[in-house]
Amino acid sequence: MSASPPARPRPGLGFDRFSGLYLWALIIIVFGIWVPDLFLTMGTLHSVAAQQAIAAIVALAVLVPLAAGAYDLSVGATVNLATIIVTVLQADKGWSMWPAIGVTVVACFVIGAVNGFVVVVLRVNSFIATLGAASIIAALQSIVSGQRQPLPPTSRAWSDLTQREVLGFQIVVLYMLVVAIILWLVLSQTPVGRYIYAVGGNAEAARLSGVRTGTWTWFSLTTSATLCGIAGVLYASLSGPSLTFGGALLLPAFAAVFLGSTQLYPGRFNVWGTLIALYALATGIKGLQLVTGVQWLADLFNGVAVITAVAFAVWRQRKARSKRDATASRRSKGTGGAEVDVGGVTPASGQQPAAVR
Amino acid sequence: MTPRELVERADGAGPLPPSLLTRGLSKSFGLTRALTGVDLRVDAGTVHALLGENGSGKSTLIKTLSGYHHPDPGGSVEVGGQPLQAGVASSAYDLGCRFVHQDLGLVDTCSVADNVALTTGFPTRCGAVRRKALRRRTEEALQRLGLALDPDTLVGGLAAAERTGVAVARALADADRTSVRLLVLDEPTATLPDTEVKQLLAVVRAVAASGVGVLYVTHHLDEVFEVADDVSVLRDGRKVVTTKARALTRRELVEHLVGGELEEVSAASDSLPTAHAAPVLRVQDLSAGPLVTANFTVRPGEVVGVAGLTGSGRETLLPAIFGAIPRSSGRVQIGDVILAPGRPDRAIAAGLTLLPADRVRLGGVMSMSARENLTLPALRALWRAPRLRRRLEVAQARTWFERLDVRPRGAVDAPLGSFSGGNQQKVLFGKWLRCAPRVLLLDEPTQGVDIGAKAEIHRQILSAVEAGAAAVVSSSDYDELVALCRRVMVLRDGRFVAELSNGALTVAEVAREALGSEDRAA
Repeated sequence: MSASPPARPRPGLGFDRFSGLYLWALIIIVFGIWVPDLFLTMGTLHSVAAQQAIAAIVALAVLVPLAAGAYDLSVGATVNLATIIVTVLQADKGWSMWPAIGVTVVACFVIGAVNGFVVVVLRVNSFIATLGAASIIAALQSIVSGQRQPLPPTSRAWSDLTQREVLGFQIVVLYMLVVAIILWLVLSQTPVGRYIYAVGGNAEAARLSGVRTGTWTWFSLTTSATLCGIAGVLYASLSGPSLTFGGALLLPAFAAVFLGSTQLYPGRFNVWGTLIALYALATGIKGLQLVTGVQWLADLFNGVAVITAVAFAVWRQRKARSKRDATASRRSKGTGGAEVDVGGVTPASGQQPAAVR
Repeated sequence: MTPRELVERADGAGPLPPSLLTRGLSKSFGLTRALTGVDLRVDAGTVHALLGENGSGKSTLIKTLSGYHHPDPGGSVEVGGQPLQAGVASSAYDLGCRFVHQDLGLVDTCSVADNVALTTGFPTRCGAVRRKALRRRTEEALQRLGLALDPDTLVGGLAAAERTGVAVARALADADRTSVRLLVLDEPTATLPDTEVKQLLAVVRAVAASGVGVLYVTHHLDEVFEVADDVSVLRDGRKVVTTKARALTRRELVEHLVGGELEEVSAASDSLPTAHAAPVLRVQDLSAGPLVTANFTVRPGEVVGVAGLTGSGRETLLPAIFGAIPRSSGRVQIGDVILAPGRPDRAIAAGLTLLPADRVRLGGVMSMSARENLTLPALRALWRAPRLRRRLEVAQARTWFERLDVRPRGAVDAPLGSFSGGNQQKVLFGKWLRCAPRVLLLDEPTQGVDIGAKAEIHRQILSAVEAGAAAVVSSSDYDELVALCRRVMVLRDGRFVAELSNGALTVAEVAREALGSEDRAA
């Protein structure tokens, strides 16, 4: 067998890894021809970039636990709670801006720590744990807000936090890029990232390689909640407190992350793939909205995107696995090991957490 | 009165056609011949035991019968006198072949009755399940096998032998029961406690008494003498003997199993010096799962082998030492460090490494690249804040590819899953060598690996040991143990029963001890 080399797996530079970029370009060209004076403007560029910046931070928040093989469905609720806490502390309690932001982010960190505890120590499936957490967080939000939308703080510093422009872009775009660069560094350039992907790829094999799987799962959920805290603060400063904003972000975030996992490094949840997917989708939605003027397109688009992305990822995996099976049955001398090996592929390998399949 | 006589008399019109008749059955995988011209005859109403060491072709034979494998042209298979359509799964079923595999395929959270009905169909009225009829039908199916089980109990709550019994009942409980000709049981007792084996053997006898031919695949010699009418032995893909169980002694059976390879001396193990240094690995009173107790020490420069059948505790020994699975008691010490149970990270830090037997599930992260797998346990050496030193990592990976002869040579960034089994194993072996371990635990290091890779891995084990490490090799391949090890410890029923070294260390002797043949020469 050593004579027959496995197929060179390095993906081609064509449609495979960069299909998102091609798609994005195609969308821009189509709408550029269709409605050039509405679509091909700096205004459109700036508004898409800014509108999606906070959604992008939430998508990155979802990305980290997914890379470690855990779902965080509580991101939306955490973002909402953060907008309320940071607003109430300033407007109702009279705190100044930075302490309020600090407390908000720490509160979200604690939410993540509790999520991590439930998943790692109590061993509750992350899907269920964070679904439950989302409901609890929603209740907390009602308690903190007293069931009413708080008035936005009036301080100058507070609105200056986000309502400034850099090179024509709102500064949140810059914040988002900073978060993305830090996450990219951590996930792809440090041991921490390796450990997280190893846990997501095959938790038991990672454990037997000396990786502290529990620690990194906990870390990923905590990071996720903390990022949501930051996203919530930025949103509150940009648009005011919201009781509902976060909930609407959950699906687009997952859609972007799953679609992103088919890009750049196929099969791996990655930062730049996620951003490409998010902005390609957002551009398409923006263009269609400019043409048709209807509002329900975003929901439709994101729903279709998440299903398509996961179906594509699963199909990819199946293809890779059937190739592996062929290898396995050739090497088997009929000791029964081959069949067991092949069956063992299912739960362990691949980046998609179990519930996706 | 044997069951066969019963059947012939009940039939009245002479003997039934044999339940299974194969002539010249062969199966090749590429250039490897897994089965060569096997002739096998299982008569109706008899239990025919099929024995063979690992890799002798038993599983291939069964998979060929079930239609999973397509046999080589030239051979023929008949079931109950009807020719089997080669490679067609439904053909085997239609002709009355039923299979019960080691993994029984029962749903633990469903009741016995529901499990049986999942394959045979639920009796319904207007779409609703007729619970009483289902219960009665299941009870009958169980009673025919002498099983007194409540059909409403959950399968998850049953003893192991009862579960196997339910699987057998399900295999036989068809709408038209008389159509079942052949029942194939694949190592049904491998994971059964001794106390429950008898119960299962009674079930097997009951099946044969009803006129079905039973092909009983096993590792355990005792069962052969207890339940089988006929015995066939496979070795290296060929059938070496078929005989009456009554006419056979235990010693003869062992000789058939291990063959003529009696006094094989290995150059490799003789050349290794046994160091006189203090032991680097001490295992005291270790017990975990089927492993009752293990006590041993290993010195630097030593390769120690562990042999034993499935269920002897061999599979749990190395994972329990390493902390991959929990241990119920005992102490493990590396040098001066006492290892905490269940903490592979600390074991690795102390200089202990484990190459697990199940490469895909436990060995590597198949979705990550070979390079990332290689460096996973000792990443810190590559870390210079804020980034990993990618270029150094690639260079190291290339060096290891070179050293272990991993093919294709340049593919350090390919996902591990895309390599062949042997090359995957080399990468995982390199991952541990890179940690410069004091003790290497190697669980089936060359399972499912081609000959070239196997030799390479053996060379690497020996060179690591020459450099001062110690190695413990657990393997079901006795040739491998004899070739690699200075001494081999044999596990049987959860305890070490023998330690073989020097002249006593032969493949045949290891096999005899593992099988536990009582009348072996003194």
